[in-house]
This record gives sequence, structure tokens and C-alpha cells, in this order.
Amino acid sequence: MGTFIIDVNGTSRSVDVDGDTPLLWVLRDNLGLTGTKFGCGIALCGACTVFVDGRPLRACSLPISALGSGKVTTIEGVSGTEAVAVQDAWVARDVPQCGYCQSGQIMSAVALLKEIRKPTDRDIDLALNGNLCRCATYVRIRAAIHDAARALED
Amino acid sequence: MQPISRRLVLAGSAAGAASFLVPVIVRSSPTAPPGGAAGYEITDWIVIATSEEVTLSLSQPEVGQGSYTVLPQILADELDADWQRVKVRFVTGKDAYKIAFKNEAPAQKEGASMSTTVFYKRLRVAAAAAREALVRAAAERWDVAVSQCRTEKGFVIGASGERLSYGELAPAAARLPLSTKPRLKEQSQFALIGKPVPRLDSRAKSTGRAVFGIDVAIPGMLNAAIRMAPSFTGAIVAIRNEAEILKRPGVHAVVRIAAVAVANEEPGSQHPKITSLPRHNGVCVVADHFWQAKRALDALLVEFDSGTQGDLSTAKIDVLLQSALDGETAVAAVNIGTPKEILRDKAGSVIERRFVLPHIAHAPLEPVNATASYKEDGTVEVWGSIQAVTACQEAIAKAVGVAADAVTVHVTFLGGSFGRKIVPDYVVQAVQASKAVGRPVKLIRTREQDTQHDVFRPNAAGRLRAVLDEQGYPLAVHARVAGQSLFGATRKSWLDQTPEGAWDESMVDGIYNQSYRLPNFLVETVDTPLPIPVYFMRSVGSTAAVFFWESFISELASHAGVDQYLYRRNLLNADPLALRVLDAVAQASGWATTWASHLFRGIAYNCYVGRGGRFKTYVAEVVELERVDGRFRVKRVFCAVDPGLVVNPNTLVAQIEGGIGFAMTTALYSRITFSNGGADQSNFFDYPLLTIDKMPEVVPVVLPSDRAPQGFGEVVLAPLAPAIAQAVLQATGRRLDVMPFPDAAFAS
Repeated sequence: MGTFIIDVNGTSRSVDVDGDTPLLWVLRDNLGLTGTKFGCGIALCGACTVFVDGRPLRACSLPISALGSGKVTTIEGVSGTEAVAVQDAWVARDVPQCGYCQSGQIMSAVALLKEIRKPTDRDIDLALNGNLCRCATYVRIRAAIHDAARALED
Repeated sequence: MQPISRRLVLAGSAAGAASFLVPVIVRSSPTAPPGGAAGYEITDWIVIATSEEVTLSLSQPEVGQGSYTVLPQILADELDADWQRVKVRFVTGKDAYKIAFKNEAPAQKEGASMSTTVFYKRLRVAAAAAREALVRAAAERWDVAVSQCRTEKGFVIGASGERLSYGELAPAAARLPLSTKPRLKEQSQFALIGKPVPRLDSRAKSTGRAVFGIDVAIPGMLNAAIRMAPSFTGAIVAIRNEAEILKRPGVHAVVRIAAVAVANEEPGSQHPKITSLPRHNGVCVVADHFWQAKRALDALLVEFDSGTQGDLSTAKIDVLLQSALDGETAVAAVNIGTPKEILRDKAGSVIERRFVLPHIAHAPLEPVNATASYKEDGTVEVWGSIQAVTACQEAIAKAVGVAADAVTVHVTFLGGSFGRKIVPDYVVQAVQASKAVGRPVKLIRTREQDTQHDVFRPNAAGRLRAVLDEQGYPLAVHARVAGQSLFGATRKSWLDQTPEGAWDESMVDGIYNQSYRLPNFLVETVDTPLPIPVYFMRSVGSTAAVFFWESFISELASHAGVDQYLYRRNLLNADPLALRVLDAVAQASGWATTWASHLFRGIAYNCYVGRGGRFKTYVAEVVELERVDGRFRVKRVFCAVDPGLVVNPNTLVAQIEGGIGFAMTTALYSRITFSNGGADQSNFFDYPLLTIDKMPEVVPVVLPSDRAPQGFGEVVLAPLAPAIAQAVLQATGRRLDVMPFPDAAFAS
């Protein structure tokens, strides 16, 4: 066990856990931030996507001891014009069905729009194909990302 | 006018003891209407607060299909409630919430695409009765006839424009008797039904605030990880280092878990070869945090035996299937005319094809998990992603020896289910763990445990034979389907009994009740029992049977040299509703026009008949295959449906899009193989799901209909694979008769 001081959603938090505990379980079990989901545990499904220093990362595969001073942003704390545009587009399109994967989908979509303001379908394929959706809401995910990109132009 | 119930007046809280509100929307949200306003229960479905908030009851779990929006939408319309003031709560505990699909006892459960079909009328009657009570309360207040009053968006309005709000009227209305035959709205009066109303859960699900089973947190709760015997008939022989593991930080207990009598281990539905219960087939470590539990479990040295069926393997299953297709023994489900004689007499001109599909796993993205609290007073409380409330209560009651009504079930949002979370094995395991440690426990299966210990969709193999008449249309057809019978394994009372044996309609769904003109027709089934836990999965047997059937119809059309669409059209010409969807999809896809040389197409049709003949939904699909970079990919899918009246076109189209994507995964990837008595696959690297780059465009065509709402959640899946197979045959000359389709088949 060790004490780790981590920065989550702009707040400094102290947690006592084993160093090999993945960031995902620290967020969920220790900090009660359950918007980040467990799907596979081996970085294959993307349900646990968070930002570390603004870049998307699979929280299930990052041991807390490797986080260091990295600033963590979860779905509960994601903000900024891209996040607003993406989340509004998600609601306007009624993207979610079961909704379980959508935190991860949204984090990946926000990350994409921060990199590429006007993504093509190919850009979307490359940025989102690590986020699985068993309900296959992919048609609306794609449409919502294009909607968000248009909203950001205005 | 008969009063059907006396309604409890609830002060201060909308949550009665019997119908419990689960805070599924926002963690730590209040369970009572805001401001402590009194809520008055007008019916089993409607609570109106003096603050004007209308709380609508939802008895059908939200698994993604949209029940959370669509069923309240029906209530609100018939009630004339103000949709902006509506809240939804999940309820259990009343007979009004129970339904039956076929001939079983009514139970609270979601499945079989039945929620809207079954509840459409029931909810309308309940809400109309509530509306009439509100009108009567206003009429009494004003001392006028009820005929002088009308309702609009949460108000009763009198002849001269005077208004009383539902909130003001609720205390009086709650004391009035309810009509059992209230006057329902005409279709032209609908304000919400038929409209693409936005989902009520989209914002919560787009901000991480929606609460799924895995997110539940109960005071004093511990966390558990579980490992089950790799072989389905296996059990624990020994645990080598329990004392050492118990010393690890945060670890509270190592608990042996008894095999759970669910799914195909139900008494009476049990295959004779499964060993008798009880046996301990799983072990869990209970710790403060899940990661501590998982790491401790990983280090726990457990020896399992493989039990009586440790030699189960895919190789053996394949042999069993093929011999069943060729054997003497089969049960006839349909026998019209003289098919056997014709096929025998014209043996030289028989067209024959064989098909096979494997067992597959549900793989909801939220792995199965549950939170349980077994209390000293003999009551049990569980929270989680649970698709069938009553079955869960009964299974827990049986497993830990309490009365079913001592079990309270709190249903959260379900992170996918597709039939998986009807079976409460994982909930019972959590209850066992809680009982052992005397504290609430959340038990989460890892992806590996979720996959390997799914209740799988059964396998199937088909052998289809036909002789054509002089015009090239079927003279005689013989279809035989073999596989592990779902009903035989899980629900023997649903089998159809004949003098020569029982048959399972789910094995031949879409064949035995098919729509084509066939003068001589024999359908047979052969059950090949296996010790594999199986259960219903979205679209059930139709994914297999319709793949066999429509692929075979394509084969016959090719032999006849007739266009695939026109061939089907000819054979369906006595069925106007079938023709309508077929024509619609042909028109939308431009079937009759010449298409570009890099595109290839396939067409398929199915009428999905609901369990017990409860509904009929007509579906036709055209798949467009495109050659890109040396490969063929499914570019676009046209899907025409006649689902009866559509309550919410928005959620219906979502089911078309998602259903096509779900069927893509099944057609391209899904296969569970078996060795040493258990499943081989474990996570998404060997059991992949469709990714966004492979998702085709979807063009939905929803036909207007005067029929009542028909089932929809499962119906678009089955025709996709045969339509893809037909398009691949056009493009490459390769016949696809095994699912999942080999990747090499798409090389150009």
C-alpha cells in the first residue's frame, strides 16, 4: 500500500492503494467517479477512456504508480468548447442506447475534435475504432461528431 | 363503472413499500419528489405531486431499447400530462407489472421484444382511467357534468375556460374509483404517441451520471471477484493457499460459491447428463476494493476438476451435429403434402445445402455484476443490471432459503443485456458472498469470467433439400435443423409436443412459420443435448434459421435463373404485408436499376413472429457490398419494416441501426469454441465486436401501419447474414454456409 496524491478533474486527491492498482479502479472505488466504466480490463474496449494531461488513455491499463503528476480528466470533469459541443450533439442525436460505453466514446470524440477541427469519416474511424459499442450506436456517433464539428465552426 | 383498486395516498414520498424507486438517473438523487411535496398515487403507474410533478412508473428494465422513454410516453399521452413535468421511476412488486410471453406464469421481466406490444394497451387504459378520475374530481369541484370538461397538458379545463391543475386535483382524484373501461383517445388525438420524442436518458448517459449496476454503492459494501470452474460440470477440489491469501491487505474472505440452479440447470428442464446439485463451482475473494479482490483471486491456487463432461469439445459437437442432420431420428414440426415422396422420387434433381453456426456469447459491454445485502432478519436486497425481476427473486429465494417476497430487487440501467441479464446466476453469487461475510457485497465478473461463463446462444446446423417445379419454384422442400435445443435445456414447458416427440420452435423460427408458397413442406428438428449453459439471445433462433432459410431460397432462385427479389415476390404473392416490405426495400435500394460495377447486392426477407404468436413484424433488407482496396465491405444496408403503429420513430430507427450493427458482429466475428469441458474465448481479442470503421450506412424505411405496435428490438437481425452471403456469392462466387463468415471470403 502507498499514498498517492493525484490530480483529478482539477482537484488534488489523496488515495491509499497498492501501486499496481489501475487508475480505473482508483477513480471508481476510491473516488466514487463511476462515469468511467470497466469493460475489458486490457485496453481493448475503450469504456474506461480518460484524459491524462489532455490526451486520451485507457484507465484500466495505467497503474496508479505510473501516473506521476499527470492531470486526470474524467467524463465528470471534461469541459471546454469541444466537450460541450460533443455532449450537446450526443443528446441532440440521442446517440446512447444502453449508454454504458458512451463516456469512453465521448472522451475519444472530444480528444479527436481537439486535434482535428473538421474530421473526415476516416479520421473518425481511426480515432474511435478502439471504443466498442455492443448496441452498435456507431451511425449516430459518427453523425454526432460531424454535428459537433459544425457547431465548433460557428 | 367498477373500481379496480383503492389507492394508497402517499404523504411525502412517492416510494411506497411495494413499488420502490431506484435512483437510476443521478447518483445520490432524492427518491421523493422535490420539496417534500405529497405524491398521490392515482394508479399503479401514476403518482401526481401537488408540486405538479408527475411520476410515471416503469416496470420494464431499460437495456438500451428505449423503454425508459417509450412506455412513459404512452402513459403521458393518454393522461394528457405535461411531458416537461414528467419523471420516471423504476417499480416492482405489483401484479400489474407482470407479463407472460407464452404459457408461463406471469412475471416481471423484459424480453422477447414484448414490452411495447404487451404494455401499449395496459398503460393506455391505466392512464385514461387516471385522466377520467382527474376530470371527475374537477367536475365535482365545479359541480358540472364531466362531459363539460376536457384535459390538456396537466390541466382539466371547464366549459368557460376555468382551469384546475392535476396537482391541485390529485388528492381528490386519488380517492375516486377507477374505471376499468375508460374511453381511450382516438389516434388523431395523440400528442406524444407516434412522435420522435427525445430519449429521457440521453443527457445522463452522455455525462457519466446514469447509474448502472456496476456503479451501485451501498454503505458498508465490500467488493468481490469470482473465478468459476473452467469446465461447465466442474467443481472445486481444493484451495491451496487460502490462509496466505487472507493475510493480504484489504482481503476479508475467500468464499466457495455453490453452483446456481438457473438456466438449463432448472429441475425438470435439466439435461440428464448434468450432475446433480449442489456443488461448489466457483470461488470468490471479498475485499475492501475490487482490485484487491481481483489480485488476491489471481494469486489464489484453486484446483478444479472437470466433472462428468470434461471431454466436451467443439470437435465432438461438430460430429454430433452432422450425424443429427443425416440420422434417422427427427421430430417433424411441419409436414404438408407429400414432401418425402417427391424428394425420393426425384432424387436426381434434389438441390441440397448444409449450414452450421456455433454457440455465441452475449458480451454486454457491462460485464455481469450485482450488489447484494443478505440481512440477519432473513430478507435480501439486491441492486443491479437485472432484466427479469421475478426470476431473480425466485432464484435467490431458492439458493439461500428465504421467501421470494423477502427479496427486494432494485433495477438500475443495464449496460447491455441482449437476453444475458435475464439469468440471475451472477446475482445469486453476490447474495451467497454477502451471506458468507455478513455485509453487503458487490460482485463483478471480469470480462474473461463474463465470456467463459455466459449462458450462450445455442449452436445450430441445417440441411435443406428441395425439388423445383417446371417454372423453377419449390415443389417440395425439406428443412432439418439440429442443435442444442434452447427450450429443451431451459424451458421444457415451451416445447411443442407431438406423438413422435417434442420440438423446439426457437430452432426453426422463421422456417416452420415461413411465408413462402410451398405445396409440399417438411420441417424437422433434432435436439443434440449438451452440458453447455444456454439461454435466449437477441433474435434467438431466427439468426440461425433465417440464415439457413433465406440462403437456401437464394440458392433456389439461382437455380431457377430468376432475380432474387422477383423470385421472393412470386412466392409471397398471397401475403400483401410481406410484399409491401419487400417492394419497399427494393424500391429504396434501386434494386431494379443497374448498379455500379464495384457494387454487389443481396436481399432477404423475414416475418418475425413473436413468442406465442403475440406479434408479427415484417422485415426486408438489401445489403450493398463494395469493393475497396482489394476487399469487399458491407457499405450500406437498406432495411424496410412494418412494425405496426410506431410509438416513437426515434427509438425505433435506433433499433434498426443498432440491430444491423449487432447482426454484423454475429455474421462476421462471433464464435465460442469448447475444449476440456469449457469455453475457449475470454476477451475481445478472441471474441471481437464490430468497430465503427466496419459499420455500414443504414437506410431505414418504416412503413405506416394501422396495426397495433408489434415487437421490434430483435427483428432486424436475422435477414442481414443471408443478404450479405448472397452479395458475397454475387461478388466472388463463394458460398458462405458457416457463421461467422471467414475473413478470407471478403478478399476480392
